[in-house]
Amino acid sequence: MLKQVLFYAVGALVLSAATFFITRNVVIQQAPIKVMSTIENRIVAGAGDWNTCFHNQTYGPRKNAARRANPDSIISSMAYDLSNGPVRIAGETWPRYWSISFYQQNSDNYFVTNDLELERSSFEFVLALDGQDISAFEGVPIISPTPKGIMLVRRFAANASDMDGIIANQQALTCAPVDPVGT
Amino acid sequence: MLRYLIIAIGAAAVIAASFFAGRTMTANNLTDPGSVFDTFEDVDGTWLYSDKIGASAATRIERARTAINGPLGLSSKEAVYFIAVQDSDGEPLRSQCTYRVEGPPIDTRWWSLTLYDRITQHYVPNSQNRSSWNSVSIPRTDTGGWVITVAPTPQETAWLPSQQSPDQPFDLMLRVYNPSATTRNTLPNIDLPTVERVSC
Repeated sequence: MLKQVLFYAVGALVLSAATFFITRNVVIQQAPIKVMSTIENRIVAGAGDWNTCFHNQTYGPRKNAARRANPDSIISSMAYDLSNGPVRIAGETWPRYWSISFYQQNSDNYFVTNDLELERSSFEFVLALDGQDISAFEGVPIISPTPKGIMLVRRFAANASDMDGIIANQQALTCAPVDPVGT
Repeated sequence: MLRYLIIAIGAAAVIAASFFAGRTMTANNLTDPGSVFDTFEDVDGTWLYSDKIGASAATRIERARTAINGPLGLSSKEAVYFIAVQDSDGEPLRSQCTYRVEGPPIDTRWWSLTLYDRITQHYVPNSQNRSSWNSVSIPRTDTGGWVITVAPTPQETAWLPSQQSPDQPFDLMLRVYNPSATTRNTLPNIDLPTVERVSC
């Protein structure tokens, strides 16, 4: 009898430990993906669609900002979905300090460059999945590891007086699915 | 037959209990403000550092913590991040206290120092609507250095507002964007600001 009880107790313990371990790993694995989906949905709600630019036009702290957002980094964002083809991002850099960064669905920042690394103040990127044909499109190719993700353009503002220039710079930024040549 | 049914019910109960325990404990651990920076390197007793933010080299738990508690950080190719959760005497930073943060010039394209409530990990509301100073807006000394006073009440020097009530723990995040090659080569042992408690 005691042997049988011991057998079931050990079995329950092993089952419990295995379930706990698997659950913990799934939660840790899925957490960044869930956070990214939440942010993507917020960007899409603000921009009106996927593959569309959304601009923060407020200098300083914002109540609805992400945790640990930087108040002097004025951000344009785009939630992208490359399932139906590549996306084109084009515009002008910002003279104080500017960067463009791309995040895959697990939240890794897989690509970033800044204004000093670009050859000119104007830029044009074509964001695509590996295997998508982008030979007909102009622009520097960026290959996203996942179909969905987020792009951020950071323009740094010293104070609120920079905002007029930044808003003009935002208006020069375009984010849109690419039009195949000839269509 | 009844015996197998009892065993199956028992197993299902164990699985369910372990699932919910695993999910809750893991989520609590990932979101616990006290353990957010557990994997950061202690540079000098005040500042913590990680080059794994936004990095593909991050462990799964580092990635999850970053995504939850400060999403969309830049990889160390572009920016590096330092966090201070305690003063130069090793005491936790408290919002009711006054601190003098004094730093040298930092050889980088842009830096900023931002104050966050340690619990909410958001800005502290204040009359100035200020939660940071940056390398362009900060008043400089003759040598290019700078001093920021963190306090709940207005200050004559560059004031970074904390809050009087409730007395909350806070942290300071130093972002160093596009650091020079010299700075990058000495990371994380660059000349970091001192955080001295003036009064409490």
